[in-house]
Amino acid sequence: MSISLDQVTKRYQGSPVVNDVSLEIGDGEFFVLLGPSGSGKSTLLRAVAGLIGVDHGRISLQGRDVTHVAARDRGVGLVFQNYALFRHMSVADNIEFALRVRRMRARERRARRQELLRLVALEGMDDRLPAQLSGGQQQRVAVARALAHKPEVLLLDEPFGALDAKIREELRRTIRQVQRELGITTVLVTHDQEEAFALADRIGVMNHGRLLEVGRPDDLYARPATRFVATFLGAANLLLARQTSRGITFGAEPVAAPRGEHSERAHEVVAVLRPEEIELAPSREALRFPYMARGAVEEIVFAGASERLRVRVEAAASAQIVRADAAAELAPGASEATSLEVTRTQHEQRLFPLRPGLEVAIGVRRLHVLPTPLSSFAVCAPSREEAERLRDNTLLAELAGRMKTRIAVVVEPSLGRETQPLDESVGVAGAAVIASDAAAARNAEWLLRRGAEEVLVLPRNTPSPRRVLIHWVDPAARRATLAVSASLLRHLSAEAVYVGILPGDPASSGQRSLGMRALLDARSEAQAVHGLEMRTELRYGDVTAELMGRLAEAPGQLLILGLTDAGDLARRFATLLTAPQHPLLIVHQPVAGAQPYEAAQPLRAHAS
Amino acid sequence: MPRSGFRQPSVLPGFGLTFGFTTFFLSALVLIPLAALVVTGASMPWREFVHVVTSARALGSYRLSFGASLIAASVNLVFGFIIAWTLVRYEFPGRKLIDALIDMPFALPTAVSGIALTTVFAPNGFLGHYLAQAGVQVAYTALGVVIALTLIGMPFMVRTMQPAIAEVQRELEDAAEILGAGRLYAFRRIILPTVVPAMLTGFTLAFARAVGEYGSVIFIAGNLPRKTEITPLLIVIHLQQFDYQGAAALGLVMLGISFTVLLAINLLHTWGRRRFVATGR
Amino acid sequence: MAANPATLAHQIVRRPGADSLLPALLRVALIAISLGFLAALLIAPLATVFITAFAHGIGAYLDSFADADTRSAVRLTLLTAAVVVPLNTVFGLAAAWCIAKFEFKGKSFFVTLIDLPLAVSPVISGMLFVLLFGLQGWFGEWLQDHDIAIVFALPGIILATMFVTFPYVAREVIPLMQQLGNDEEEAAITMGAGAWMTFFRVTLPKIRWGLVYGVILCNARAMGEFGAVSVVSGHIRGLTNTMPLHIEILYNEYNFVGAFAVASLLTLLALVTLVIKTVVERRAERGR
Repeated sequence: MSISLDQVTKRYQGSPVVNDVSLEIGDGEFFVLLGPSGSGKSTLLRAVAGLIGVDHGRISLQGRDVTHVAARDRGVGLVFQNYALFRHMSVADNIEFALRVRRMRARERRARRQELLRLVALEGMDDRLPAQLSGGQQQRVAVARALAHKPEVLLLDEPFGALDAKIREELRRTIRQVQRELGITTVLVTHDQEEAFALADRIGVMNHGRLLEVGRPDDLYARPATRFVATFLGAANLLLARQTSRGITFGAEPVAAPRGEHSERAHEVVAVLRPEEIELAPSREALRFPYMARGAVEEIVFAGASERLRVRVEAAASAQIVRADAAAELAPGASEATSLEVTRTQHEQRLFPLRPGLEVAIGVRRLHVLPTPLSSFAVCAPSREEAERLRDNTLLAELAGRMKTRIAVVVEPSLGRETQPLDESVGVAGAAVIASDAAAARNAEWLLRRGAEEVLVLPRNTPSPRRVLIHWVDPAARRATLAVSASLLRHLSAEAVYVGILPGDPASSGQRSLGMRALLDARSEAQAVHGLEMRTELRYGDVTAELMGRLAEAPGQLLILGLTDAGDLARRFATLLTAPQHPLLIVHQPVAGAQPYEAAQPLRAHAS
Repeated sequence: MPRSGFRQPSVLPGFGLTFGFTTFFLSALVLIPLAALVVTGASMPWREFVHVVTSARALGSYRLSFGASLIAASVNLVFGFIIAWTLVRYEFPGRKLIDALIDMPFALPTAVSGIALTTVFAPNGFLGHYLAQAGVQVAYTALGVVIALTLIGMPFMVRTMQPAIAEVQRELEDAAEILGAGRLYAFRRIILPTVVPAMLTGFTLAFARAVGEYGSVIFIAGNLPRKTEITPLLIVIHLQQFDYQGAAALGLVMLGISFTVLLAINLLHTWGRRRFVATGR
Repeated sequence: MAANPATLAHQIVRRPGADSLLPALLRVALIAISLGFLAALLIAPLATVFITAFAHGIGAYLDSFADADTRSAVRLTLLTAAVVVPLNTVFGLAAAWCIAKFEFKGKSFFVTLIDLPLAVSPVISGMLFVLLFGLQGWFGEWLQDHDIAIVFALPGIILATMFVTFPYVAREVIPLMQQLGNDEEEAAITMGAGAWMTFFRVTLPKIRWGLVYGVILCNARAMGEFGAVSVVSGHIRGLTNTMPLHIEILYNEYNFVGAFAVASLLTLLALVTLVIKTVVERRAERGR
């Protein structure tokens, strides 16, 4: 492996800027780190270069551990966004700098310099000064300079950011050519997904310091695993749908076949519908692909080779459709009617010309379901005021905002009164959110039985957590808990720590090795299956007591607790639910053979 | 009204008024007095002119004025660089205060710095008595003149160098490190060359200022003819003796040197700018 | 949530593999050298001014100002500044307007002339006026015939001080106006504003902080000018002695308390000037 990163973490003033990033890049691969500004990609690149030290983790180049090796001894080349050419030196001197440091003889230096100038198509410019060159030429000199000492790895930090579009394209081609010719492992950092698609063999998408997904450009585009990647790599309509045994449905009829082994109960999922995969036709019969809903054209924008439309989807069919594309922040509750972004080719325009106001039938060519377990939030409280207060909770608002998903409101009076029996006819979809109070344990249990897969218990004031503790009571809940944790941690800048708790006393060595094995299993499953990097620790004693103790150690923590038996909440974990300062996310993995929880009716969300 | 070809037309008013006023002011205050100097000096018979400006006393004063200025400017080169570097690169308590104080010699009247320095370095002064114990006498010697001129030139050097040092991008050092250079190598080859033009400018400014300095030096110099007498003082003495022509002659010599120095500064600026103009955006 | 990586990358962070002892030592050494140098050359003289002035107690300090000659020296200095500073300000603004707003041939000649007094020794500056208005000067006889005294009298002092200090306001304001450009003034004119109105309402507010600093500096130099005034004034006690000249006299008479007492006033003025400079710079930064 050419570059190997293992749990690399860099903290700045307590928060992780690069958060547990593990990555392997092969020899000769052109790898692109893609992400918005502030995602940590530049920091990661500089850590690989050796300009920044890391707080945790290991960096290896060509199998050699270079975590504590100085930059000049790592054998890397770095190209900066602002060229960083030595302005008082000529092009020749700039390129030969690395060779002069290594005391190469003048004749050999000159030969190497000529070779490099040819490589970057700047022959004859030896004696020019940087001030006499254009931006594109300066960057070429920077590339030649970085390659002079034959590094094994070439790193580029947003190298085309300072250039105009045309030059950028030219330089992209040059870089690709150079890389192919030399076969050198290359890592390029950018926020421009077009650039990433054009250059990369594989792309790694980063956000909030975490490496979310890694894959080939076409794979990531067609089958993203997370909301962020879906919307960052291209325009996307994110919709909430129901996954049933019949397939994915928005209204009555399924629009796509069922996915995978989900023969269990129906639940809410997040579906990615790309604008180019939507078919518009004058009527339902004229559609060639499965029918989704009726709609009306709101706006049409001409974009040269294609046409971009916004189509308002008719309200009756769209009780479940929530639009969330890359541009808009979702206002809670403002979701009853919704618009889809649609892109049509010239050909489609000719077949069926459209104007604003026209009614259309909407068909779905291709739908991709995100494997993310947290689809939406539903705030549940006994009264409207309490519900609104919960909805405005900062942590919840942050999560919903980052996930670009809705917060529905369910007012259920019986939640507040401990003694009253609870209404058995109400159903809840998505993750339920309740307040942390005396009745929390009972409410949570009730919600889980009503179909909520997760329950988020929030105290009054919850800042964004710095650390997330993960624990599952029963090994059967492991998979679901890890899936939810991975999803949550993609939207928080926090560390993840799995707390394994064994009964009994630490002195027994049998217990210890059992415990360690469980930790390792947990960690490797987290990483391999869910793309989640987490630390692990082992404790002994009573589960509730140990968790309370760990939570009490520092503020700013959140606990994710996975269990199979909802009754445990009241029996064993009641204190956790009322712990004043710590939010708690309960993940419920009902075991097979238990009562199936088909909701009596679909989601009943109150408009607000 | 402006002649065509003299100035570009503009929609803004006030050219006539401001141009006229500026011309009048500069003529009355600068050109005419300068003319008086030139004419008075030129009206001297050549031989007398040469006699005055090359008398032993005059030569001694040049040696002191220019020599001490050169030394002071060189001292400022080293210490000024150190101070500028420290102020730009390092954080320490009181940095902002020190930074503000750098301009003090610029704002302080020369007579005040003159008597203050003399008092500090006099044999019984705060620093003077330590030096006297080491056998070094500062007040009333050429060394005192050098110290006074160093103080005077210090703000010029530091203020010229600070922006130059600040401008050295950290990325250049990063780049040098990745390319394999050690810290000293990077300093020698990357940082220093970038800063050299500013050093030269600062040196020239400090030197020019020091050559003509009067108030700060008069008190600490011994003012002994040919030994510790600066050229400006010699001019004053000529004037007091109503030898206007002699004074003018010496003044012309000093001016000649000043002008050459000014020219040198301008050329340096142009050369530096042409070579290092930043284009990267 | 994550910190801006740009600020992170520019921290002086300890890099992997970097030797940290030597740079730390170097840093301490450089700071020590700088502070030592400044302490000896800058702080010590400043402290000396006040220490010596108060060496015999506050009573003696205040008594120094009771002396009639000292009072007239102070009066003369203030009077000179009161005349010189406004005139130089007017010149500075006029020259700045002319140079910054218009393109014409000979502009660099103007700029050179404005920079000239800074390159010329103060003694020579004073001498210029002696050559013009002194007894044997160009206008010497004419002045004598009409019984007008310029040299060895207030007018000479004013002229010499003006010569030495007029660049300060101009050099502050000219680059400032050049940097700020003409767009706003041109917009105002095309909207129908008159010349004076444009100047006072549009230009002046833009340059006010630089102007303030230029004026303050000009004032400090005017009050503190020594060499030029020394040549031109004739040192007549009580009549043509400004504060700096009076300091010289007191010092030469070994009246140290007196000399430093007067010096302390000028030093305070210099300190105030520096404070105002800092404030101006901070305002300018915020405004940008």
